[in-house]
Amino acid sequence: MSYKTKKLKENIKAHLIQTPKFKTNLISIFLTLPLSRDNVTKNALIPAVLKSGTKNLDTQEKISIELENMYGANLDCGIEKIGDNQIIKFYLETINDNFLPKQENLLDKSINLLLDIIFNPVVEENHFNNQYVETEKQTIKRLIEGKIDNKDIYAFNRCIEEMYKDKPFGLYKYGYTEDLETINEHNLYEYYKNLISNAKIDIFVSGDFDDNKIIELLNNNENIKKLSDREDNHIINNEQTEKKTKIEDIKILNESKDVTQGKLVIGMDIDYYKENSKYAMCLYNVILGESATSKLFQNVREKASLAYTARSNYVRQKNNIFIRCGIEIENYDKAVQIINKQLEDMRNGNFTDEDIENAKKYMVSGIKTVADEQDSEITYYLGQELSGNLTSFDEYIEKIQSVTKEEILDIANNINTNMIYFLKN
Amino acid sequence: MQITENSKVKEKLYIEKLENGLTVMIIPKKNTQKKYMMWATHFGSINNTFVAPGDTQQTKIPDGVAHFLEHKMFEQENGTNSLDTLTALGVNANAYTTTDHTAYLFECTDNFYPALDELMDYVQNPYFTDENVEKEKGIIGQEIRMYDDYPQWQVYMNAIKNMYKNNPINIDIAGSIESISKIDKEVLYKCYNTFYHPSNMVMCFAGDFEPEQLLEEVKKRLKPIEPHGEIERIYPEEPEEIVEKEKTQTMEVSMPIFVIGIKDNIKETETKESLVKKHIAIQILLNMTVGKSSKLYKELYEKGMLTGEPYLEYEFAENYAHIAITGQSSNPTEILEKIKEEIKKLKANPIDTNHFSRIKNMIYGNYVREYDDVAEVTRMFVSDYFKGINSFDYIELYEQVTPEYSQKILTDIFKEDKMVISIIKKDSTNENN
Repeated sequence: MSYKTKKLKENIKAHLIQTPKFKTNLISIFLTLPLSRDNVTKNALIPAVLKSGTKNLDTQEKISIELENMYGANLDCGIEKIGDNQIIKFYLETINDNFLPKQENLLDKSINLLLDIIFNPVVEENHFNNQYVETEKQTIKRLIEGKIDNKDIYAFNRCIEEMYKDKPFGLYKYGYTEDLETINEHNLYEYYKNLISNAKIDIFVSGDFDDNKIIELLNNNENIKKLSDREDNHIINNEQTEKKTKIEDIKILNESKDVTQGKLVIGMDIDYYKENSKYAMCLYNVILGESATSKLFQNVREKASLAYTARSNYVRQKNNIFIRCGIEIENYDKAVQIINKQLEDMRNGNFTDEDIENAKKYMVSGIKTVADEQDSEITYYLGQELSGNLTSFDEYIEKIQSVTKEEILDIANNINTNMIYFLKN
Repeated sequence: MQITENSKVKEKLYIEKLENGLTVMIIPKKNTQKKYMMWATHFGSINNTFVAPGDTQQTKIPDGVAHFLEHKMFEQENGTNSLDTLTALGVNANAYTTTDHTAYLFECTDNFYPALDELMDYVQNPYFTDENVEKEKGIIGQEIRMYDDYPQWQVYMNAIKNMYKNNPINIDIAGSIESISKIDKEVLYKCYNTFYHPSNMVMCFAGDFEPEQLLEEVKKRLKPIEPHGEIERIYPEEPEEIVEKEKTQTMEVSMPIFVIGIKDNIKETETKESLVKKHIAIQILLNMTVGKSSKLYKELYEKGMLTGEPYLEYEFAENYAHIAITGQSSNPTEILEKIKEEIKKLKANPIDTNHFSRIKNMIYGNYVREYDDVAEVTRMFVSDYFKGINSFDYIELYEQVTPEYSQKILTDIFKEDKMVISIIKKDSTNENN
């Protein structure tokens, strides 16, 4: 297995993950832009419009037929929020040529197709097709309105939104319905042209292939040739840039929706930075609430029987930890009290060397399996790319292994609750 | 061990039935770091009435026992919890319950044998007390509440209830807060002793293994056990007809969600081979009707009536079978009408062979893809095993599914009087706009 990168143009990079272990090849292309209130909705709309047709396959139906003919190639596109960046992502997964019933060259075909979808859309006299834009505005509108459909995720998003009010990270990744009214096929196309000349572009290919051939294919692709050098204006977020000072009062927010179970979300800020402190934070988070032996799982669920889900997750790019659990509405005070006790225990160092060892094993096992799934490996390298430094799997493991109890304690004493959000009926 | 090989996906299955009746399946995968194993018993939520080996009387159990048992298996007599022990080994352990089986599993990179020790130990040594059973009721209660808040689960269960009058598939896998309140340690032991005999179980592995050696390791860890008679599984008589054509429930969703069901019935004469072929044909037909490249999907999408590709599934076990089409639409009943019309059109004309072979290619690709991930491979082999199917059969038999055969399936199964729709939409009296 090997991971190589190659600069195609200034801030357009090819990432090749050569591995024989899959029956599929996966191509992923990411366009990265700083999140902004002005552009968030337009960015969400772009991939939806692009998958409606290319110059060569000018309807969604034709694209679908082509994909089916390619043994059910999977095309997927969407939007991701990573730190203060918005990522427009495109995936195309095809069966590796070795596993086809007859000899074909699907990989080349799929790379060309995906590039066509992104860079060679249906354009009519300097604007997008009106019907495509109008149809996809409806699709995005429904995605935005659909944020209430899953109440667990809704509660989590609301907490982030309130903690990051008027800040890029507080934006909803699919944007806002009121913006859609002002978007049309003309201004969206103008925006698109601007986007493809300015976004940072990362092209990942994972599977079994000859590196040089892929680079040659990319360099000779007409769509790539048309692209020019660009500046890198994506936002680098890390523990240092996101160090949060303690706020005066914990914000408490209760909201009501049609739920039978209360959804509790506690957002916490990490007021700490030291070189490599993110590794200690990962371990802090595992001990607090990520694994089945964690304090939250053991005390909120197993001992107090208050919840089925009780966990925490660490958002590295923004230096936050979020605790989430689903509880009976009348158990709110009890749950908050038990959770606070766990945070206090962490501060007082009430966790054992064994807890730390277990957390390390948990993290190491997670890292070792990243390369067993193509999309998680790509996501790992994209994260590294956006954070501006490359840590190999081995280095990552080594850094996890070398974290000490003192480092975890330092973090425990510099984590502050920012908001307690509760969704009830 | 007996070896079957599939030349298309280039994988091998090693299988052996041990003396105590346990079936062991191993799918070796070189180059993967991750090892995955699962031990599953043929006991799911639909097995709520049975005659245990040696009994003369029927046992009827409260709803949700299989799932409750799954939660309680981790508890050990020495006060430890096996989930904690496994987690401490750095392995990722879990368990789940379906309508027809319960599975205990872990995946790991290191510590495989210590983890296997622990898993095989806890599955063979139940420890239930009044106290630990009581405690679990709060946790499972919250799991049930969580599902109560998932519109996708509610809309699915309503579709099932529209199709099935008596079949226990119409009961939530976890039961209800009321039904689990009746569960005690006696009923858990009764079900454990009935269904957790090796002859009712399968163990499956995928990862970088030496099969013969692994099999020996498994044997070493099995406790001696007396042979077990047949379990008589009692299922109520289920009429061929559906229960109710339509059911609408209100929940706070941004746009109505729906499940369209088509009830099928498994005939006792049906061979496993014909089941697999039928499954493939139905997948093709569903895609031809309303899949991504179909005319109908294009029309509904452009009109804004469908927000995305609907999920198209054929679900079956030993005593039920149905199609489920799941999606989100401003007007689900209109979608149902359109689908009915499209099925009529399909029936009236010979099958478009281009469209047919295109979808067949796609389905081939989907099957091949399943073999990339050790977790998916294991789950697939286990759930097919309980249906009496070897998963390779799908790749072996897909060539044999012809347009003519599919036309016959279309007539036999896609019947209007077997169709139901379940809808969840928001209460219109609360609408703001």
